Amino acid sequence: MAGRTANPARRRYNVRFVAAMTAYAAITFGAVWTLRQAPPEADVLRFALAVAPAIPLLGVIWAVGAYLVEETDEFRRATFAQALLWGLGATLAFTTVWGFLEELGGAPRFPLYLVFCVFAVAMGAAHLVIRWRYR
Amino acid sequence: MMNRLKVLRAERNWSQADLAERLDVSRQSVNAIETGKYDPSLPLAFKIADVFGLTIEEIFVRGEEGA
Repeated sequence: MAGRTANPARRRYNVRFVAAMTAYAAITFGAVWTLRQAPPEADVLRFALAVAPAIPLLGVIWAVGAYLVEETDEFRRATFAQALLWGLGATLAFTTVWGFLEELGGAPRFPLYLVFCVFAVAMGAAHLVIRWRYR
Repeated sequence: MMNRLKVLRAERNWSQADLAERLDVSRQSVNAIETGKYDPSLPLAFKIADVFGLTIEEIFVRGEEGA
């Protein structure tokens, strides 16, 4: 999603995004390994490990908001906001349709933790299309 | 909204990148404004006017298509 002439706000966003995704990969690996190989006895520790992978993803949501606040180029802010709305809309549409399919149609269960992934792919695709349209 | 950005740039021999640098925005922004695909906010329109030493009305004109 980075433009050819990345400004400071965009650079910060890219750094934060990559840092969060790196943390996500490491934490998920560590949490899954621990819960499978040596699950702690205490419920509170198991819950803490189970929720740990979500924290960097919350960080990505924060980074998206921070970028919208920090971006000084109004056109880039507008295209990013459009992509964000398309991403959120597509995610809502997909999860709503799938939810009814699951509930009434016997479709396989869609794991909720993948909703974020649906959003990220949808927003990324929307951003590419929007930037191409304004090219 | 129609605008005379392309002509004004040509008169000064500025590329889109030159104008973008003077406005402190991306080249993509200048291109989107110039082609009429994106209407700038009032603050940015005033900034554009200042860069060319003109008024907003001398650059932006009512209408649908880019000039």
